[in-house]
Amino acid sequence: MSEKQVPHMPDVSRRQFVQGSAMAGFAVFLAACGKSGASAAPSAAASAAAPSVAASVAPSASAEPTPKPSTSAELNWANWTYYLDFDPKTKKSPTLDQFKEKYGTTVKYEEIIDDNDLFVGTIKPQLEAGQDTGWDLMCLTDWMAARLIRLGWVEQMDLGNMPNVVANLQDVYKNVTWDPTNDHHVPWQSGMTGLGFDKAKTGDLTSVNEFFDPKYKGKVDYLTEMRDTIGLTMIKLGLDPSKATNADCDAAIVEIKKAKDAGIIRAFKGNEYAEDLKSGNIVLSMAWSGDIVQAQADKPSLAFNVATEGGMLWSDNCLIPKGAKNAYTAQVMIDFCYDPTIAAQVEEAVNYICPVKGAAEVLLAKNPDIANNPLIFPPADVLARLHIFNGLDETTEKYFNDQFATVTGL
Amino acid sequence: MGGFLRRHKRVIPYALLAPGLLWLVFFYVLPGFQMLLTSFWSGTLETGYEFALSNVSNYSDALVKYSAQFGRSILYGGLATLLTFAISYPLAYTIAFRGGRYKNLLLFLVVAPFFTSFLLRTISWKIILGDTGIVLGPLKDTGLLPDEFRLLATPAAVIFGIAYNFLPFMTLPIYVSLEKIDKRLVEAAEDLFATSFGAFRRVTFPLSLPGVFAGSLLTFIPAMGDYVNAQLLGNPDTTMIGNVIQNQFLTQNNYPTASALSFLLMAGILIAVAIYARLLGTDELTAGGV
Repeated sequence: MSEKQVPHMPDVSRRQFVQGSAMAGFAVFLAACGKSGASAAPSAAASAAAPSVAASVAPSASAEPTPKPSTSAELNWANWTYYLDFDPKTKKSPTLDQFKEKYGTTVKYEEIIDDNDLFVGTIKPQLEAGQDTGWDLMCLTDWMAARLIRLGWVEQMDLGNMPNVVANLQDVYKNVTWDPTNDHHVPWQSGMTGLGFDKAKTGDLTSVNEFFDPKYKGKVDYLTEMRDTIGLTMIKLGLDPSKATNADCDAAIVEIKKAKDAGIIRAFKGNEYAEDLKSGNIVLSMAWSGDIVQAQADKPSLAFNVATEGGMLWSDNCLIPKGAKNAYTAQVMIDFCYDPTIAAQVEEAVNYICPVKGAAEVLLAKNPDIANNPLIFPPADVLARLHIFNGLDETTEKYFNDQFATVTGL
Repeated sequence: MGGFLRRHKRVIPYALLAPGLLWLVFFYVLPGFQMLLTSFWSGTLETGYEFALSNVSNYSDALVKYSAQFGRSILYGGLATLLTFAISYPLAYTIAFRGGRYKNLLLFLVVAPFFTSFLLRTISWKIILGDTGIVLGPLKDTGLLPDEFRLLATPAAVIFGIAYNFLPFMTLPIYVSLEKIDKRLVEAAEDLFATSFGAFRRVTFPLSLPGVFAGSLLTFIPAMGDYVNAQLLGNPDTTMIGNVIQNQFLTQNNYPTASALSFLLMAGILIAVAIYARLLGTDELTAGGV
């Protein structure tokens, strides 16, 4: 695969942003210091009460849509950089212009999110108090989306307003444990976790068992992302990461520890595993699809596969924060982007995995390089093998993190 | 203004101290106090935190759980300090006594790596020491080293990395104290039939001790808390306490444990320094007047 095939690939990947800005998360902590302790009771109550209240107010997907409100004059959308056909310099986006033409809504699009915790920290007081956050639409990663849904801080959507989403959302994204009714989040862009390897040294690798093969002793990196490393190990053990329990976690940790003690694992890495692959220090790593696309430009012998046993899928998801003023328009906006023509237009500029059915077909005529790139539009059989990690509640998440720390040495 | 200062001479020292003191109060004392409070919290980012003195168990829990990483910090920091000393002393000695007109150039060369970012220098070590890099590659090709030999992702790499990164902190103070030694003292020792090694052992080295002391503190203290070298050059079994603190603060959002660990690290360093000062004798410190 040459550089030419991914013309708009940003210089910095979404994951790198996450990492680089983790430091900024500390600012949230400082901000949170001021009001320690106060929030415990209300949030717990909200999470218990929210689903039932919401269910009784909003009609279900199958019901006839209630009389439609009209779209608002403006919409406030918070997103990550490189996540729309948006030019931050001119503030222009063909997609947003077309939306305005069709619905008369001016979208105030801000590339303001570069860390989940940091961004949510800025709106947490309003969410806790049930007030408008100033945002109508925001895109956050699975685990954070799961947390906000659990806390009842996200508006339920009316799927009756969103026919494109109902028709075009890829099946693999449906029925996640943390949003069983599929109406609190809509995936925006995704990435896959699988095998990143140097095929000049290893040949084609297609099994998660390769990560545990003594043949590659000291030549394998695992990921510091707990959900990815434990997820892939669970797949190796024949367990389902989308339903991960504490017992599954224990089993995975035992397996990882064996590999570590046998000297197979060289290190746990974030994005730096790509450097190790490029320099030849390792020949195989648990890897993110987007990174390998970029690394291939420097070292064409690198390859990415989703293992035949399965791989992990992570997404950033559209959410409507509780109390949003223009919740209806936000749903119209999401649905607008689930029109395959619009999704294709967005994907040409973004190059992450597109969750919209039919977008690849639209792109095929216009930009076949992107449409045929299996790392941007994975074939159906690959998509079917992907798992979205279970939505862990706070206690479980802490358990997983603590267990994982015993193998990473942190 | 000038008149005021002349009339109130006692104000001057305080006025001179004020900027530094304010700096310390705002950027060290206040955050330190906040951190101290944080270390007595329980709870999580999601549910909120609660302060209670009974949470002093944060300290004992953290100490028990991360004793291995604490041990490694002391061991790696200590070994790296010894290594920098072994490299720096001959280097500083040569520059001070044999540098001649190249003295300034040589000193510049010692500091030169500092013009590059710390991170970049550590990453370049990864390239140099890579398994098939410019050092190990040829040695493996000629069969001098087995194929699976590696330097990266080993404890040695972490220690060498720390030693390399903190070398100037050791070299410069030693150089300064050697530079100041009155050469006539050495000549006098030799006139009194001391061998050149004897003169070094009895005159030069004792007079350079303040520099050694300052240098080893400047190296050991940051080395103890360092996490970049262990992160980039180490493996899961070489993590130091700095790595744990970084992970607890930024990944796990476990601020109470991270704060408790930070204070334990501070206490550990203070104790280590106190013992060291005791052993070396505090008089020596001021004698050379570094």
